[in-house]
Amino acid sequence: MLPEACVANIISFTSPADTFSSSAVSSVFRLAGDSDFVWERFLPSDYRSLISRSTDSHRSFSSKKEIYRCLCDSLLIDNAQNLFKINNFSGKISYILSARDISITWSDQASYWSWSNVSDSRFSESAVLITTDRLEIKGKIQTGILSANTRYGAYLIVKVTKHAYGLDLVPAETSIKSKNGQINKNTTYLCCVDEKKQQMKRLFYGHREEQMATTVQAVGGDQKKREPKGRDDGWMEIELGEFETREGEDDEITMSLTEVKGYQLKGGIVIDGIEVRPN
Amino acid sequence: MIVLKSSDGETFEIEEAVALQSQTIAHMVEDDCVENGIPLANVTGEILAKIIEYCKKHVEGGGGSEEELKIWDKEFIENIDQSTLFNLILAANYLNIKTLLDLTCQRVADMIS
Repeated sequence: MLPEACVANIISFTSPADTFSSSAVSSVFRLAGDSDFVWERFLPSDYRSLISRSTDSHRSFSSKKEIYRCLCDSLLIDNAQNLFKINNFSGKISYILSARDISITWSDQASYWSWSNVSDSRFSESAVLITTDRLEIKGKIQTGILSANTRYGAYLIVKVTKHAYGLDLVPAETSIKSKNGQINKNTTYLCCVDEKKQQMKRLFYGHREEQMATTVQAVGGDQKKREPKGRDDGWMEIELGEFETREGEDDEITMSLTEVKGYQLKGGIVIDGIEVRPN
Repeated sequence: MIVLKSSDGETFEIEEAVALQSQTIAHMVEDDCVENGIPLANVTGEILAKIIEYCKKHVEGGGGSEEELKIWDKEFIENIDQSTLFNLILAANYLNIKTLLDLTCQRVADMIS
């Protein structure tokens, strides 16, 4: 049988998921699997800085495994403007940028947007759309702070209120741009499209809708018709696109959603932020 | 030249540069206790031969390009059976040869995953 240090070395080359399951093999495996040596390898390299920027900065930890568990439960960082989390089994990093941390055109104008605390938001404030005909939302993130060699997806976290209007006429355009020139574009509807309602609308507004729809193709680059999808936290999400991170590269990714071509007044959408997570 | 003696009585004579890849041996050389050869009670001749094969290839500047070394390492590690693999881990741990230890442990980790 191998000594604990060797087992720890072996386990550190596997994954957090494998480490959890191998603890059941024997007491040597359990001890090795609990060791700081192993969990230091699974923690993100900047974990000390992340903790010091978080609301938990004064907390003391008894082991690296405890720090790992804390990061899996998610950490509010940077004056609670962003949420950092790692996946329990893979150790991969994800972020949620709050609505305050992204750029929403005219969000500082009280007649267009209001800021309020929404009950099941993870942040203290979400942006609520009162009315606008120009919807422009942009978030930025550096790939250097994410897990390397991973395919990431960006999602706008939204809710549609009861009094929403104008969201289903013209689809919005989404894009993911990286500083080194790669662009990925698609389109999406801002709310789930009710087919019956659409048919009724076409009876009355058919011609106008056709005119507006020609300005934006309803079907994206990959021929998929996109709509918001449900999440398990009570919110919906709109996919903005995907990008890949590479070891040693630190690229700036701009994720955006715009609806500026329809000149259609819209209201009643609530923005909680943009989530960037491994796909 | 340095002489290594395995637990089952085999002796191996190797160049100092090859032997110094083992931190354990390097410390012994520093402490100047290698006059009559170094007895390695924890390592059998068969395993020691494999380790010397690895160390000879990895002597600085002698083994070839990084790519070639990677390919050689891959072949080296894939052609050994499980019990030899575990004995290599124990020996690399005892002799403190980090690169060999990581190579063998990675191999076991890949087998687990």
